[in-house]
Amino acid sequence: MESNPSNDYRYGSLPARAPLASAYVPLQDGAEPQYEPQTAIGRGTLFPGLDLPFRGMVNGPLSDTPLGELMAMDFVADELELYLDTHRDDREAFEMYQHILALSKTAHEKYARKYGPICQSDMLGMEKYAWLCDPWPWDVCVKGED
Amino acid sequence: MFVYEKKLQYPVRIKNPNPALAKFIVSQYGGPDGELGASLRYLSQRFSMPYPELKGLLTDIGTEELGHLEMVGTILHQLTREMTPEEIKKAGFDLYFVDHTAGVYPTAASGFPWSAASIGVKGDPITDLNEDLAAEQKARVTYDNILRLSDDPDVNDVIKYLRERELVHYQRFGEALRRTLDKMDEKNVYALNPAFR
Repeated sequence: MESNPSNDYRYGSLPARAPLASAYVPLQDGAEPQYEPQTAIGRGTLFPGLDLPFRGMVNGPLSDTPLGELMAMDFVADELELYLDTHRDDREAFEMYQHILALSKTAHEKYARKYGPICQSDMLGMEKYAWLCDPWPWDVCVKGED
Repeated sequence: MFVYEKKLQYPVRIKNPNPALAKFIVSQYGGPDGELGASLRYLSQRFSMPYPELKGLLTDIGTEELGHLEMVGTILHQLTREMTPEEIKKAGFDLYFVDHTAGVYPTAASGFPWSAASIGVKGDPITDLNEDLAAEQKARVTYDNILRLSDDPDVNDVIKYLRERELVHYQRFGEALRRTLDKMDEKNVYALNPAFR
């Protein structure tokens, strides 16, 4: 396999003897490098090594709205969860995960206070049953997008 | 159990209704390689998985696919809003409309309603992970095909995102397959089912 020192992260490690008669995908070697959260969600992955767009068609970073910020934090958390599912002993990735969980919690609470509950448990301490307030996620205009 | 979050995983905001696009995008809602099948495949396979990594990964990807189902449903809902009968006929959306109006129904673009025949649950981790690798490629190709057919930038923005997720899932399923092979008894050279002895 051709390897370029400047982008080694694109290549996983193969064992000395990959078994015959068995499909083989190399392991991702560590959780870095990473995109910034807004770029990551725009590209659809946190990891440049997995970013393989169709005919070079890519999206820009997600806009920096309250909802965009929350979506980006939650996306990075989701992406790290899948990575940790197959790399449970990666301490550095788990520390990144701790960091992003804290950011996600802050963004979630900020959004819920301003625009209404995301989860029903967000209604703790609210003055009315705000779960039913429009809009719903499939509506064309969603709160916190501007 | 599941707890709903009243937001999408990635924003969907389609400015221009266009039922002609909804005719084929519906396949990623209820077609053979769509998001409904993906979520049910993974969330069903996990019950017989013998290792925590596999239980966790199938739960997490299966849950994410439910979020993608909601995103594809949102695209369909927004593409088919405020249609006139003339627009419906002109777009060739009449065959869907007569049965479902502007409702979102899990069916393949070719008209076959969602079927469990399009997913596999074999109860053997090696076999099921190979199924999952193939499933991610099939979903990725379907999104490639949608990008070939659609010229709406708002739709394509979401489709590009969903397509990339299939690549990430493929990588994780590949890693899970390797973790599984590593865990199996070295003497188990024929990869006998570790979930059923």
